[in-house]
Amino acid sequence: MRKTGFLMLCILAALLAGCSPQKEKVSDDVIQLRFVTYDNGSVPLDAKEVIAAANQVSAEKIGVTVELEFQPKEKLNLLMASGEYYDMVFTSSWLNPFDKNATAGLFYDITDLVKAETPALYDSVGDYWDCAKINGRIYGVPILKDMGAEDMFRLNADYFEKEKGMAIPDHMAFSDIEPFLKAYKEDHPESYPLAMDKAGLAGYMNFLERIVDPIVVIPYDQDTEKPRAIAFYDCEALMERYRLLHKWYRAGYIQPDAATVDSSMTDRSIPVRAGVAWKGYQGYSNPDDWGFQVKTSIYDGPFLSRSSEQGAMTGICAACDEEHVRACLRYLELLSTDRQFRDILGYGLEGKHFTYLENGTVLRLLDGQNRYNTRLYQTGSVVNASVESASRDFLADPDQWKKVYEGYKTDGIYSRTGGFAYDPTPKEDIITALTAIYNDYAAELRTGTSDPDTVIPMMRKRMEAAGMNELLADIQKKLDDWMEMHHDEKKENI
Amino acid sequence: MRKKKISRKESRELTLLSLPAVIWFLLFSYLPIFGVAFAFKQFTPKPGESLFRNLFVNSPWTGFSNFSFLLRSSEMPKILFNTLFYNVIFLIAGIVLPVILAIFLTELHSKRISGFVEMMLLLPYFLSWVIVGYCLYGFLATDEGQINHILQFFGRNAVQWYQSPAYWRGILILIGLWKSTGYSMVIYLCAITAIDRSLYESATLDGAGFLDRTRFVTLPQLKTTISTIFILQIGSILTSDFGLFYQVPLDSNSLQPVTQTLDVYVYKALMQQANFSYSAAASFLQSSVGCILLILSNIIVKRLNKE
Repeated sequence: MRKTGFLMLCILAALLAGCSPQKEKVSDDVIQLRFVTYDNGSVPLDAKEVIAAANQVSAEKIGVTVELEFQPKEKLNLLMASGEYYDMVFTSSWLNPFDKNATAGLFYDITDLVKAETPALYDSVGDYWDCAKINGRIYGVPILKDMGAEDMFRLNADYFEKEKGMAIPDHMAFSDIEPFLKAYKEDHPESYPLAMDKAGLAGYMNFLERIVDPIVVIPYDQDTEKPRAIAFYDCEALMERYRLLHKWYRAGYIQPDAATVDSSMTDRSIPVRAGVAWKGYQGYSNPDDWGFQVKTSIYDGPFLSRSSEQGAMTGICAACDEEHVRACLRYLELLSTDRQFRDILGYGLEGKHFTYLENGTVLRLLDGQNRYNTRLYQTGSVVNASVESASRDFLADPDQWKKVYEGYKTDGIYSRTGGFAYDPTPKEDIITALTAIYNDYAAELRTGTSDPDTVIPMMRKRMEAAGMNELLADIQKKLDDWMEMHHDEKKENI
Repeated sequence: MRKKKISRKESRELTLLSLPAVIWFLLFSYLPIFGVAFAFKQFTPKPGESLFRNLFVNSPWTGFSNFSFLLRSSEMPKILFNTLFYNVIFLIAGIVLPVILAIFLTELHSKRISGFVEMMLLLPYFLSWVIVGYCLYGFLATDEGQINHILQFFGRNAVQWYQSPAYWRGILILIGLWKSTGYSMVIYLCAITAIDRSLYESATLDGAGFLDRTRFVTLPQLKTTISTIFILQIGSILTSDFGLFYQVPLDSNSLQPVTQTLDVYVYKALMQQANFSYSAAASFLQSSVGCILLILSNIIVKRLNKE
């Protein structure tokens, strides 16, 4: 019996050892932070090496090091919900939702500290602090990147311009892509010229401000006196897009099983793709990736709203003590002001993962492409990082961000809701039911597989039965209240 | 006296052997039971505090309001019908088919052939649903699928399989049985091997043929195994194999009327939201219905066996 007891103790001890928290000891004057970010699908292989290099620099400059973790979406949700301790976390409008978490009190109110501790960071973000405010207080640090959505088609320039003599304009309407699709289909009747998978065309819905993504929207070009939240199926412009897609599907421009296909990236020869980026972005253009020259043509945007500006942010845990919050802010400030340091977390080790080109832009080396190919927004300020060139012959403009941000001022299409954020908690059961209904049809709708004129009436009927009108009324009421309050605020400021 | 001592020692060793399983169940089945509270709470965690505190102190009780998202869907009757429809079919076919196959296999004289057949039937069980889904896509794809190639070879029109719900009840049942039959067959095969051979010998001496032996010897001997498996299965009557109904049809919208079961609905409704209370409510409903049915069927089976 004693033996049995001993064995049981051993097993229990082994089990418990696995659960006990392990904290690394760092020297006294350096603060170690737990920084959890989104993994964008995979953890970079050389992450440890790169973080160690970055820590050396940051320890010396500001006395802060990070334990950077790349985690998938589900883990981030769990991290927030389980009350686990962290210092900084990736948050945004589209992943690990900022508004929901900040309203629930999960993030630290940094309004006063950010001005006092890190004035350079505070100045660099400027007007964009608005998207991180809840009731006038700041709960997160927006990452400066492309702040408005610009939706574009990416076309095979070798084929369309050189072979067919068709000009690819810098801007086109959504429907203008049709002649390109038609020309390719006539030459290649066996293939499908428009790349499509079950997620639909990237950014096709960006011309709508999504209040409850994706079922309640406000079109940017709405011409009512006050902004009105509508169900997505009541938006005629969106229905027009669905009809076009269905027309293209029937014409054979879209592959017949698109609604069940996970990714259209396996076939690189497809001549027309959609993307969301910014003017001057070269990530789509490397001819080595595609086998042909790619030219982009913007069909929508740039649209700026609270949710587009919340594209990437950093939240600081509400349970942090002030010392850790200060350290977090100092770290974020270093990322936003020190370009050399920023490039380490962004691109890896110079000489191994990337190299600087003569005009100051960055070229990822083979190791960088395979072993540390993160997107910049995952680790911090994009604007402060060096700009990436597609290849040695195809140099990017090192000053592109200045132009992009000027473009927002001149061409930007701004939301009229003035930073309104809807708190979904009271109507969460309706939203959940509506989401399920939406998902019953969405993949076939956005790939053009189904005819919107038969599917939409079905969705409308089911959604109205599940409480769509109740939800719309609630949103409208809160939106009206907000607009009134916001209007008063503006008056006071004048 | 001596015999008793040995058996006590033996039983202690056997208990020790079961220890890992006991610990496993304690940790993963009994310890998490407190999580049922999620279903009746509006979970509002505070960072830096323990899960227990967040769940029991920081979160307010909300009664049954977490269940309301299930009732909001006007499709609920259809979803419940689908769940029960497939489960009843799998319940019956999942017993009849493996029993018949097991009986046939034991009648085979060649050990080599029966071993080969057994292995072939068992293999699909080890494939994951994702892989099965893509293999099936290889057959059913509109453009490159084998079946459409064959149809076109014979001058017929290609079928858009993933947009044609009419075929899919059959396809899903077929695939489900193809994958699970081998595994349950092995269980029955073991049970049949355990039957006393002398029963068969005396039956044969009395002039019983294959059918008579099956009817009067094999089936009555299998009765306990069958009823045990039946009871186990009925406990999960509201739980469907998520992989079969979500991965295999590649989540195709058109097929949704015939593939939407309770698990698929819950996944679709909650995958974008991470609301633990709602998912806990859904699984609480499934488990409690399953638990009630399990107890009921246990009573019924016991009664029937007594008679």
